[in-house]
Amino acid sequence: MIRVATLDPLEPSDVAFLTKALYRAFGVGTENAGDRAMLHHAESKDGRVDAVQLLADVEPVRTFADDKILYVTAAPLSLAPGPLGAPPCWGFALYGGERGVVSTSRFPARGVSEASVEAWRRRLGRESIHAIGHLWDLHHCYDAKCAMHPSWSPNLAANPEMDLCSFCREKSERKVRLAKT
Amino acid sequence: MRGPPPRHPDDQREQLPPVEGGIADAAEITVGDRVVYPNQGVCIVAGIEEKDISGQKLVLVRMQREEDGASVLVPRNKVSTIGLRRVATTSQIEGVFHYLAAVFDDPELDWKIRHRDNADRLIAGGVLGVAEVVKGLHSLSRIRPLPTKEREQYDNARHLLVSEVAVSLGVPPGLAEDYVDYALMPPAGTKFDLKPPPTPVMLPSRPRKRRPVAAEEGDGLDDLGLGDLGIDLGGDLEGALAASGGEGGAAAEGGEGTEGGEGAAAGAEGGEGAPAAVEAKATPAPARKPAGKKPAKAKARAARPAARPATRKPSKPARKPAPKHAKARKPGKGKKR
Repeated sequence: MIRVATLDPLEPSDVAFLTKALYRAFGVGTENAGDRAMLHHAESKDGRVDAVQLLADVEPVRTFADDKILYVTAAPLSLAPGPLGAPPCWGFALYGGERGVVSTSRFPARGVSEASVEAWRRRLGRESIHAIGHLWDLHHCYDAKCAMHPSWSPNLAANPEMDLCSFCREKSERKVRLAKT
Repeated sequence: MRGPPPRHPDDQREQLPPVEGGIADAAEITVGDRVVYPNQGVCIVAGIEEKDISGQKLVLVRMQREEDGASVLVPRNKVSTIGLRRVATTSQIEGVFHYLAAVFDDPELDWKIRHRDNADRLIAGGVLGVAEVVKGLHSLSRIRPLPTKEREQYDNARHLLVSEVAVSLGVPPGLAEDYVDYALMPPAGTKFDLKPPPTPVMLPSRPRKRRPVAAEEGDGLDDLGLGDLGIDLGGDLEGALAASGGEGGAAAEGGEGTEGGEGAAAGAEGGEGAPAAVEAKATPAPARKPAGKKPAKAKARAARPAARPATRKPSKPARKPAPKHAKARKPGKGKKR
């Protein structure tokens, strides 16, 4: 089961779209777990929230075996710098773990037109599938059309697809099949 | 940047320096150490046990894979040969990142060589070898999609690299993967201050196929009993042996070889290589047994090429009209019946 919890207010229609997209991608039941309080102590001086710390300290959601939780926030996220600097953060998930978080701060403006709202939702769906994919042991994919392609890649389309490539889909299906309890 | 050299250029040099951090002796590891088992990932040494297996007392090192807790038991005396090594240091990991971020435009295009080299790199190349596999296959994927087997190999290599980077830097694997991909696929406009990447991993040359000696060849053919089946080996084998004798003589003479090489007879006559050729000629005595039949067979062979065009060519036009008549008659007969 995938449970979606919101750390900042989100339109009910957006949540409905997201749960549908996640169900379609992984074939696992998805439900809205309600709102949770945002952690303000994880916020740094530049206003960004450390994604790793956020996942460690965020208010938990009641889960059962093999459940995955996705937190959605509007706050900008940051990652600790690595040997070549800090990669841009669209979201973060514990590889093979239980929790993931997605930030909408880097998405294109939601706007009011139907097309812009649709594009925003599709991006939300794509990033959420990416985060849940990591929770199901998926690595980044070199295929720019796959949802597991890095979100900052220059090869990514402006309005990317929210589907998994055949390799990632098969791998996630295998993991889900093995993990079903 | 050019791709890593596929093999060690010097074929004679099979023994290459060990990988950095490689464990050469079981005495170097203690319980609780973190080691990297090639193709398996980071393991913790859980203990050293003594087991009685089919009457033999073996001292085994028990290791547990960090990822899923799977146990691996390795005989203590085999530890040095399986490619076990310590987890990469921070400086090694930095070198790996500088290697990953460098521009790479020379992927190996021959799939057979590429797959074999990549498999060897994953086993014997250390963390840099794993990074080379990831980088090589990633740059190839920009040219064309990877076939299934290589896609799996790419995924496995990426998994090994991410887990080792995560352990070495002390960060979650998800973050380690972001670091790796930030180096591999930097966002538009990002420029890194790169240091020269570490020296690529040298792979040992593959052992060459052993060529059988001419005398052994002769014995082998005798054992097959081809002469008894009526297959003539005499003429061809003799010719081949004479040629090899000439070459052997030329090689033994060294500087004079070029002169001797021009005439096979001259090469066979002189030099130390000649006796070997003579022995080889003398040994296939059983092959000469059917030599009595040789003249007749040789005659038949000589006659065949002349006879074939004479007999076959006229037969074709003669045979062709026959089926036409037959075909023309058959339906007619059938109808009448």
